[in-house]
Amino acid sequence: MATMNPTPGDLELGPRDRGRVGRAQELPILENFGLDSQLGPYYIGFWNSAAFVTGGLFTFIWLAVMASQVGWNPLAFAKYFFVLQIDPPAAAYGLSFPPLDQGGWWLISTFFLTVSIFCWYMHLYTRAKALGIKPYLAYGFTGAIILYLVIYIIRPMWMANWSEAPSHGLKALLDWTNNVSVRYGNFYYNPFHMLSIFFLLGSTVLLAMHAGTIWALEKYAAHEEWNELQAPGTGTERAQLFWRWCMGFNANAYSIHLWAFWFAWLCGVTGAIGVFLSMPDFVNNWFQWGVEAGINYPELPPVQP
Amino acid sequence: MSGAKAKDPRFPDFSFTVLEGARATRVPGGRTIEEIEPEYKVRGRTTFSALFRYDPFDFWVGPFYVGFWGFVSVLGIIFGSAFYLYYTVFLGPFSYPQNFFAGRIDPPPAEVGLALVGPGQPGFAWQMTVFFATIAFFGWMMRQVDISMKLDMGYHIAVAYGVVFSSWLTLQIIRPIALGQWHEGFVLGVMPHLDWVSNFGYRYNNFFYNPFHAIGITGLFGSTWLLACHGSLILSAAQYRGPEGGDIENVFFRDIQYYSIGESGIHRLGFIFACGGVLSANLCILLSGWPVQDWVSFWNFWNTLPWWSGV
Repeated sequence: MATMNPTPGDLELGPRDRGRVGRAQELPILENFGLDSQLGPYYIGFWNSAAFVTGGLFTFIWLAVMASQVGWNPLAFAKYFFVLQIDPPAAAYGLSFPPLDQGGWWLISTFFLTVSIFCWYMHLYTRAKALGIKPYLAYGFTGAIILYLVIYIIRPMWMANWSEAPSHGLKALLDWTNNVSVRYGNFYYNPFHMLSIFFLLGSTVLLAMHAGTIWALEKYAAHEEWNELQAPGTGTERAQLFWRWCMGFNANAYSIHLWAFWFAWLCGVTGAIGVFLSMPDFVNNWFQWGVEAGINYPELPPVQP
Repeated sequence: MSGAKAKDPRFPDFSFTVLEGARATRVPGGRTIEEIEPEYKVRGRTTFSALFRYDPFDFWVGPFYVGFWGFVSVLGIIFGSAFYLYYTVFLGPFSYPQNFFAGRIDPPPAEVGLALVGPGQPGFAWQMTVFFATIAFFGWMMRQVDISMKLDMGYHIAVAYGVVFSSWLTLQIIRPIALGQWHEGFVLGVMPHLDWVSNFGYRYNNFFYNPFHAIGITGLFGSTWLLACHGSLILSAAQYRGPEGGDIENVFFRDIQYYSIGESGIHRLGFIFACGGVLSANLCILLSGWPVQDWVSFWNFWNTLPWWSGV
């Protein structure tokens, strides 16, 4: 790493970029748990506001339509909250705009949700640029955005049918996930689903390894990662030696975060590929695909003993 | 930055203090492994040294530390791998590359119950592989304890490994014992274990309706999300040389979402997320087929709660 001495600060923030609201608040009990105690100040900019307005419109439409389905009865709304849903337009409508109560609200709310997600991306991107750091948080967000777009926009449009998208609702989302797997011959045989699960579980393992290592080395200040990147101290040295002695090789304070970034990003991207390929045009049955690819042997006799 | 600010004296302190002089060990650009390693390679300071004042395996092989538990673990790895590979790949019905995917070791049949089966009987290979794998996993966890002791660290890594080891114990030991037959353990093999997981989900009607499965999935997706946020944040700030210094990460997160949990906080949160998700996944497996047979009708309790019987 280059140098441990910061160059003299000439960070140029325009007047609009400095527009933070609220004074910093301190909540000391958080320090008792090793968490930062400072709340705010908060930056309100165009993209942040736009993300909240459009995200709020999505949430409002979602909740209001679901409430109307139970006659605006609050008790019924609470009882059926998990199972209420806004369905996308029926297959007969294709990509055309249906009446509001037959999928129109779904199209409008999905539009606002999509706009909100892009605004949030711009919020992350522009804020990083304004502060003079690399916009890698926004880049990492693209992994989730690609998965969202494939499921809600790209695949339904490719199939010329909004009904292929999930309904908006908690149980509905679980049902869609279950049904798309069963419809296309069991996602367990989908190699991109396998990769996505690999990166999902791998990310959890990496997080437990890295977070456990740093938590175990707090008394050596290994958690001050920006400082340790410039000038590794005894905390980082112990972290590296632990994994070298345990599994024969180790990352360093910088490269562990590269591993982290790519594992997490690829979880979303490989999942998006796996969902996109699951349609009659490409792979209609992943079980059959597994047989043809030579990884699935349904007639296998059990090996004994 | 966490660890520097005042705490609330009315509540217990679960925080930490940085040791005197720890920050002074920082070397610009860092040191090579050849410079570092001799300083830390000291004898003793292991579980066996603490108990018996002697550890017969207190040495390194190449980069690997051995220790008593390393010896135990290697025995488990060698015998477990031998059983697994012999029965799946070597004895499998197809060519070796095909057997890598298709080979399977089934648990003992249901009528065996919780008995141990002898050589040549169905389920023998499964019991031996599971036995040696359990030895290997336990030894590996204790070896992480040894290395943590040697480096004078906390035991968080061994605890996290213990959490995922508890998943193995739940699936292969605890739940089969709870249900009274080894037959309930999962099939060993690359594709067969996927089939087992798929069938297991629908055997209890639909695992998507299992609330502990939902919490576990939330923990896994949450862990992936936290990993993306943390990894990208450190990469983004690595070349920052502005006036905020190492506080730039906190400034960025306060700007974009009002609160930054802090440098130590993100690692504590991540550890709890990753381990908590796996522990909830253990619960969703253990409860299936033991108290709960059907995760869809499980939710009948929700519809019959007394306070909304009228709607």
